[in-house]
Amino acid sequence: MIEGKLVNLRAREMSDVERMTRWINDREVTRFMGGRYPWSREAEEAFVRTTTSVPMAFADLRFAIETKDGAHIGGCGLHRASPENRDAELGIMIGEKAFWSKGYGSDTVATLVRFAFEEMNLNRVELHVYDFNVRAQASYRKCGFVEEGRMRDAHFTEGRFHDVVAMSVLRDEWLSTDFTDSHR
Amino acid sequence: MIEGKLVNLRAREMTDLERNYRWMNDREVTAYLSMRYPLSLAAEEVWMREAASQPIMYGKNVFFAIDTKDDVHIGNIGFNEMSAEHRKARLGMVIGEKAYWSKGYGADAMLTFLRFAFDEMNFHRIDLAVDAENPRAIACYRKCGFVEEVRMRQVRFLHGAYGDGLVMAILRHEFYALHGVTQARSEAAS
Repeated sequence: MIEGKLVNLRAREMSDVERMTRWINDREVTRFMGGRYPWSREAEEAFVRTTTSVPMAFADLRFAIETKDGAHIGGCGLHRASPENRDAELGIMIGEKAFWSKGYGSDTVATLVRFAFEEMNLNRVELHVYDFNVRAQASYRKCGFVEEGRMRDAHFTEGRFHDVVAMSVLRDEWLSTDFTDSHR
Repeated sequence: MIEGKLVNLRAREMTDLERNYRWMNDREVTAYLSMRYPLSLAAEEVWMREAASQPIMYGKNVFFAIDTKDDVHIGNIGFNEMSAEHRKARLGMVIGEKAYWSKGYGADAMLTFLRFAFDEMNFHRIDLAVDAENPRAIACYRKCGFVEEVRMRQVRFLHGAYGDGLVMAILRHEFYALHGVTQARSEAAS
């Protein structure tokens, strides 16, 4: 288990499938993610089974997010990690909407980034966020992410094209911020 | 076959194997591709057989061989990722024959391929990732109308140091504004 201030990150279990299926069929949640089609419980179960029945490894890490009192509120991960380039892409979803805008997402991102630099020895963590997801962008900035650019019209949903914002944090930047100390 | 001014784009064939193998083991060629390890002829053959034996259709295998007008195979161009809903794709190109570098073949292959992508495949956006320290390629892409959108800091480890990468993109309306709308067949006939 990886401990943050408000959350713990643990391996996902088959007992999470019920909640995860509910979240990825909730349009308020998925409009900020890639998915758009309804997703069956069987499909989610198969996916979770495939990814939880083997130990987690460098190239693709997926965690369940729990509050300190054990409520499972979302998922997060570090994907497509490259050993040579020492980078990875961060993804996060807070599926329980009652836990939005209360610092759980930011704490998760901070905890993941710390893990990426201090344990995985990465040099760069990047992420992509839709232009209309301003709450998430503010949260990422708080965690040290810098906007690198905008991919114009790269995302279509709700009847029109939207930009995708690319953000990253580098190891040096993260180590040199006060944020690092305040988060140990 | 898709006709450009200096090049034609055609389906890949097993007879391209030896050249692809040679290019993918030429460090000057691969330095700017996301490849760093030597590639065996056997591995290239497996990959090529998969590519050459499949029909080209949306979503997979949209990759063409680039031939000069006198049928010299000099490189390849195609899409690595395509998304139907977003009507976007990520492009990859290599001119493997170094004698044909900096002579306009790459730009012509690119413009020919982009026109095909917008006119025939109905894409809205085409982008690519390029090493920030590859000025020849960046100049070519700019000339074709690509705009720099993202500077990915320290994204690529190459020759002992981290280097930046760029995401460059061109939108459908930008392409037509720069290079003209394809003349309708009925107009061309009249």
